[in-house]
Amino acid sequence: MEGKAKKHAKSTLRYLVLIILAVLWIVPIVTLFLTAIKAKSDFISGLGLFEIPERLAWENFANAMTQGRLFLYMKNDLIICLLKVPLGIFISSMAAFALTRTKLKHATAWFVFLLLGMMLPMQIALVPISIIYNKLGLINTYFGLFYIYIGFGVSFMILIMHGFMKGIDFAIDEAAYIDGANKWQNFFHIILPICKPAIATLFITDFLSTWNEYLLASVIINDNKLKTVPVGLMTFVGEHGTDYGYLCAGVLISVIPVMAVYLIFQRYFVEGMAGAVK
Amino acid sequence: MKENKTAPYLFMLPALIIYLSVIIFPVFYSLWISFQSGTGIGSMEFVGLKNYAQLIHDEVFWMSFRHTIIWIVLTVLVTTTVSLMLAVLMNQKFRGRTFFRAFFYFPSVISAIAVAIIWRWIYNPQIGFINQFAKMLGLDFTQTWISTPNTALIALFIAALWQAIGQPMILFLAGLGGISPDVLEAASIDGANGVQTFFHITIPLMKDTFIMVISTLLIAAMKVYDIVKGLTDGGPNNATQVLASYMYNQVFQYNNVGYGTAIAIIMVLMMLLVIIPYMSFTAKKE
Repeated sequence: MEGKAKKHAKSTLRYLVLIILAVLWIVPIVTLFLTAIKAKSDFISGLGLFEIPERLAWENFANAMTQGRLFLYMKNDLIICLLKVPLGIFISSMAAFALTRTKLKHATAWFVFLLLGMMLPMQIALVPISIIYNKLGLINTYFGLFYIYIGFGVSFMILIMHGFMKGIDFAIDEAAYIDGANKWQNFFHIILPICKPAIATLFITDFLSTWNEYLLASVIINDNKLKTVPVGLMTFVGEHGTDYGYLCAGVLISVIPVMAVYLIFQRYFVEGMAGAVK
Repeated sequence: MKENKTAPYLFMLPALIIYLSVIIFPVFYSLWISFQSGTGIGSMEFVGLKNYAQLIHDEVFWMSFRHTIIWIVLTVLVTTTVSLMLAVLMNQKFRGRTFFRAFFYFPSVISAIAVAIIWRWIYNPQIGFINQFAKMLGLDFTQTWISTPNTALIALFIAALWQAIGQPMILFLAGLGGISPDVLEAASIDGANGVQTFFHITIPLMKDTFIMVISTLLIAAMKVYDIVKGLTDGGPNNATQVLASYMYNQVFQYNNVGYGTAIAIIMVLMMLLVIIPYMSFTAKKE
């Protein structure tokens, strides 16, 4: 009996700790929401954060989407991600294939060399890239942005694809070559389809990190019409520094698509991260 | 026969071209720029090590350096500990565990810029959460943590922590999941209590996970930028200036292109302290 009571107490304590933590964790989002539903006049009249205004200022959200250009920023970001992520995965998979399933000389040395990019700070590329891009006229172009995104993403993608491809049975390659397939056919029609789980994970995680990238985007894109969400958000904040409700509505809107993607594809995050440990 | 020898390189080629042009070439180009002085457009002048000599006497550089080190230490100690504790809690079997796991992870998917802006509303001295909450409790208290030099860095770190624990938590959970229950049971039969088992068995068995978590956190901490930019922009009075933000300001605000690039080179040299051991660890594992 005593053991059971102890177990019960332990379980209660656990939930208590978890619920306190969960409440703390949600505070920033709740604060954001409670601010977003207030109009400018509510702040002037000194309405407290926890007081609900008589009329909820839903127009903050609509205005942020259109006048605040958040809809445009999302569209731009989506274009960049849809260009960068599949292309990055494809060329990284090719490299991982060469590293794991061909007789590439010094494969380990190549692999380690290619991983360097994961650790080097983007700051190292900022000045050279902006000098070169200015000369080539690539500032304010999507190509200019997603090209460096791919460069900085290649290392992590190769790491993940390398890890996955290493585990595929080599008998599969042999069978393909006996059947007369060449290396490209083996890669494209046989190995790549087997990598689907790794590709799915990479797609989701890389999509989000590309979507959220700020530093490079802020240096390469300064045209309001072309900005991505994080850069646009900073512009938005700069333009509406004192219009609190409007500002918070904008931030909240920028967070919603990411949340949706996360909730739908949640298991990929967990599996993907776990895969990286192996 | 000839095709067989070149084929691997053809597969490597696209990734290699982009990698070399975006990462490797800029490293050397940056090194070259760091030996020059000027605004970047046209008139650059070779000055040798002058930029580096100037850094030694630059008070703000040393402040940024110190803040980066503090950030790294806080990240390795606090972020690792908190995420490990959460992972241990989440690793137990109870109802709602999937929900809680997803819940604590969610800030990780938000952009750091958005996180920074969100936390402005926690710290805002007029309408922010902390002061309004204190007011609700009847406390007459105005917190100005983010605008007071002494507390700004810690306040910034707390905002970053909200977002930073998700990924290490998942990595630790994966590590904990990889430990066979038999080992833990054997320890408990031998009379070890929970704490002993955790420190003497669980932690040593998760060595690889720790290496992975700490090295990724270290690398991220060395480059910390977005959250600083969005929440304090290095202020007040450089109290939250870190190397990455100082580098950016020198290059893009003051047009000291060579000087700013020298800071980026210093950052890379610091990174090498992590990169070299990590690389040899990976090479050995292969």
